[in-house]
Amino acid sequence: MASYFGIDKIFKALRIIRDHGGIRASLYQLYRVDDLKDGTLVGEDAMGNKYYENKQLTLGRNRWVIYNPSVGTDYDGSMVPAEWFGWLHHKTDQPPTKVAPTSYGWQSGHQMNVTGTADAYMPYSTTKPKVEAWTPPKAA
Amino acid sequence: MGHPGEGLLLGMGATRAQSSGPEKIEVFIDDQPVMVPPGTTVLQAAAEAGVEIPRFCYHERLSVAGNCRMCLVEVEKSVKPVAACAMPVMKGWRIKTDSDMTRKAREGVMEFLLINHPLDCPICDQGGECDLQDQSMAFGSDRSRFLDNKRAVEDKNIGPLVKTIMTRCIHCTRCVRFASEVAGVEDLGTTGRGSDMQIGTYVEKMLMSELSGNVIDLCPVGALTSKPYAFTARPWEIRRTDSVDVMDAVGSNIVVNHRTGEVLRILPRTNEEINEEWLSDKSRFACDGLKRQRLVYPMVKDSSGELRPCQWEDALLVAGRALAAAQGSVAAVAGGLADAESLVALKDLVNKLGGEATCTEEIFPEDGSGTDLRSSYLLNTTIAGVEEADLVLLVGTNPRFEAPLFNARLRKAWVHNELDVAVLGPNVNLTYEAEHIGEDPAIIEKLLSGTHPFSQRLKAARRPMVVVGSALLSRPDGGLLYARLQQLAHQLRAGCEGGAEWRVLNVLHRVASQVAALDLGYTPGVSKVRNAPPQVLYLLGADEGAITREDLPADCLVIYQGHHGDRGAEMADVVLPGAAYTEKMATYVNTEGRAQQAQAALVPPGMAREDWKIIRALSEVVGAQLPYDNLAEVRDRLTEVSPNLTRYGDVEEANYFAQASALAQLVKGKQEAAPIDVPQKVLEDFYMTNSVSRASPTMAKCIAAIKKEAANRHRDK
Amino acid sequence: MLTRLARALTSPSVREGVRGVHRTAPAASDALFVHRDTAQNNPDTPFEFTAENKKRAEAIMSIYPDGHKKAAVIPLLDLAQRQVGNWLPITAMHTVAKMLDMPRMRVYEVATFYTMYMRNPVGKYHVQVCTTTPCWLRGSDQVMAVIKDKLGLIPGHTTPDGLFTLSEVECLGACVNAPMMQINDDYYEDLGDSDVSEILDSLAAGRTPKAGPRSGRFAAEPAGGLTTLTGPPPGPGFRVRDDL
Repeated sequence: MASYFGIDKIFKALRIIRDHGGIRASLYQLYRVDDLKDGTLVGEDAMGNKYYENKQLTLGRNRWVIYNPSVGTDYDGSMVPAEWFGWLHHKTDQPPTKVAPTSYGWQSGHQMNVTGTADAYMPYSTTKPKVEAWTPPKAA
Repeated sequence: MGHPGEGLLLGMGATRAQSSGPEKIEVFIDDQPVMVPPGTTVLQAAAEAGVEIPRFCYHERLSVAGNCRMCLVEVEKSVKPVAACAMPVMKGWRIKTDSDMTRKAREGVMEFLLINHPLDCPICDQGGECDLQDQSMAFGSDRSRFLDNKRAVEDKNIGPLVKTIMTRCIHCTRCVRFASEVAGVEDLGTTGRGSDMQIGTYVEKMLMSELSGNVIDLCPVGALTSKPYAFTARPWEIRRTDSVDVMDAVGSNIVVNHRTGEVLRILPRTNEEINEEWLSDKSRFACDGLKRQRLVYPMVKDSSGELRPCQWEDALLVAGRALAAAQGSVAAVAGGLADAESLVALKDLVNKLGGEATCTEEIFPEDGSGTDLRSSYLLNTTIAGVEEADLVLLVGTNPRFEAPLFNARLRKAWVHNELDVAVLGPNVNLTYEAEHIGEDPAIIEKLLSGTHPFSQRLKAARRPMVVVGSALLSRPDGGLLYARLQQLAHQLRAGCEGGAEWRVLNVLHRVASQVAALDLGYTPGVSKVRNAPPQVLYLLGADEGAITREDLPADCLVIYQGHHGDRGAEMADVVLPGAAYTEKMATYVNTEGRAQQAQAALVPPGMAREDWKIIRALSEVVGAQLPYDNLAEVRDRLTEVSPNLTRYGDVEEANYFAQASALAQLVKGKQEAAPIDVPQKVLEDFYMTNSVSRASPTMAKCIAAIKKEAANRHRDK
Repeated sequence: MLTRLARALTSPSVREGVRGVHRTAPAASDALFVHRDTAQNNPDTPFEFTAENKKRAEAIMSIYPDGHKKAAVIPLLDLAQRQVGNWLPITAMHTVAKMLDMPRMRVYEVATFYTMYMRNPVGKYHVQVCTTTPCWLRGSDQVMAVIKDKLGLIPGHTTPDGLFTLSEVECLGACVNAPMMQINDDYYEDLGDSDVSEILDSLAAGRTPKAGPRSGRFAAEPAGGLTTLTGPPPGPGFRVRDDL
């Protein structure tokens, strides 16, 4: 009956708000990721990103990541490490929490894309400057 | 039919004032009637009719060689085609420049020329501006019947400026004729004969001339190309800006070739009044100095006494505060490359702050009329006027290196007009024969009183010229000597043929800024600054060391504004980066008093700005805002001070010689015994004379090459 | 079928566009037209006109009017070449340039233009064999072969004893007496089989063989005796009308 009138949706919404820690936190979540969904926490990676799943949602929207709150809105897709990437993009249904990924000695730790940050790689020019500036002589 | 030699002199463009010539004759160029004076060559007559005949060896300013045969044209009733460049026209000739015979002749000549010419246009620097390429497209055949091996000729090393690829040479001998006729160095020639003929020096030696770069322009093919410019750019990629040269006071007209924010090369621009179509090597090749030792950011001396780069705001504040605190104890010294706009802005600023001393580095005596009368500091006869003179007395100057193109005019007149030249000063090689009168300054007095043997020659001269160099003027007794020369010139003027129209007295300046600075009321020489050292000294491109740190009190703040880090910037406390002559719209006045505009080819590098704008900005910081905000307003101010400064291209005639001479009589002083000297005696002294040329690697290479050449056993000492 | 194809390929219409492999001999001289310093020929090579030659030079220069002294360059260079012995060191050119007050380059131009100025040392006897068509048709190949054989020389080279230099030259203007060779200033003409080796032998022995035709001719008269002008020249009044 409740579902007939859609009242369960209100309950659901209230539950989601509660799960997110109140109205304030929910509004922040909406502001931060433009979405407010309920789901089961599947796991958390080394950087503090949390991975959720809700199998009732449509494929493509049923697994998601909430980035470490410390980065605020300054998150980037490349923050997802390789082992979670596979699960998140449905390459596999086994999250690394269930089946630990094989780790090889040659693997380096995950690093997000640093483009636009201070760590970004800047190619330097090998051509000589067109105009050579004068360097004042050192004071004696 | 006349002898081909009759037309030779006409071909050289000597323009001595001609009396009304003989009657003109009528010829027909492609059925179009033209009236030409007798002796005109077919080629010149065709040019008169607006028909250009292809040519390689012919050049208006050189003698006629007639050896390339490209100018063959058909003349009606003549069995064979005639060489248009060497054949004087006869009355009623019908010349056909586009007949079947003419076209076949051209095609045949072109095929012959291409027999031994390598097909290396893709790797040739002349590609795109090559006469052979163009004319081969226009008049040549699309195939050759030559199946044998092409000839190869070894390249010659004739110095660091001209690159030779002698296999490409088509033996037009333009370079040989230029070297011996215009430049006056007989080092180039043709050796061998037939298919073994080659252009070169026979023995390995350098082409030691201050005009050597012109053979690059003259060469119709890629045999002589520019060494510094080798493999740099193609002509169609280049942007061209017409401008004016500032390496000497001649003010040669140039075309700045630039691309992607750098000057690639500088070429001459034809101006019959000034440089004809030549350019001195310094003007042509020193442009790579514009890319080195540049001031690209403002600098202020920090507490440790070292110049540190900073923002414009900081530099202007430091300079502005000092200028404001000086309370009128401000002086300015302008160097040789300053333009009229910045000169007037600086003078206005200094005067507004209460300072009086605005000086130039170059010295000019202030005795007598000093710089009050414009005629006393100009080359009054004008450069082109040399061709009308019959006797030139050079006093304390070596025009060959101080003004190479003025010297080229002298040589031209010496060759074609039988001009006599006499030198009072060191006996330097002027590329032509000059009578050496002596070095003793006392001779001037003798010439004036008429007791010297040379006085008779001077008196007898119909159109004499006295050319005074800045070396004489900067002597301690320069004022006295110059006053005597003024009197002498006035004396000669009375007796000469030209009468009031003919001006005898000429001053040959060394630097491009001097005439504009004197027109604007600058004080020549820095004695004013030295005698009363100011609290703030403003150097506008003053790099010749006329004033040094030792001349100034320790608490004097030196502001240097300019484009190169040189002696001026080294002694400065605040450095304001300005623009070089290729980077600003600026006015320069040459030694004749002819105002010309330099155009901005590039933007100034880095944080550098146009010079008058810097001074204008500084004036606002000081609180003495100058009343002009754009170039037009600055030029209005120039016009207000001296109207001739914005009459571009014209020589404003100056007069009052009689008054100057009368004032000169009052000049008293002690004459020094030291002989008259000039600073630039040999070619080595020519290359580095200002901050741009001192920064130029090419100029350094020239000097190194000349030093090395001194050990060449093949050089004719 | 094949023959037809071959005919088609070799027919003129097909061959027209094909570039031939024909080549002529390179038309370049064996002399170098730039100066190279050598041990014998460099700017320090001593040269000075002898007192006698100086007098001659003065005489030559006095022929030419003032302002045209430069015209004496050719005889003076020749004088210098004769003094040195068959060749012209660069210092001799410099001396001449100085005497005539002309730029050195202008003298170099003259000296390189004329083939009779030898700008590099040659032997005591400069053997120049004409190989232009008339001499060639009359057997200059044979003359050349004998010299090569006898002296072991190829054109442009000098024997180790410095006695002979061999040059192959173009027409020397003695075609009526072909084949011929010039040794220093003398023409040896109408050279037969043994003449060349005989001339060379006597030169090597220090004798000077008689110059001129070897065929017994006096000069360039027909080899088979005169065909015209055989009688004595007629006197005055020859073939004049009787009534005059």
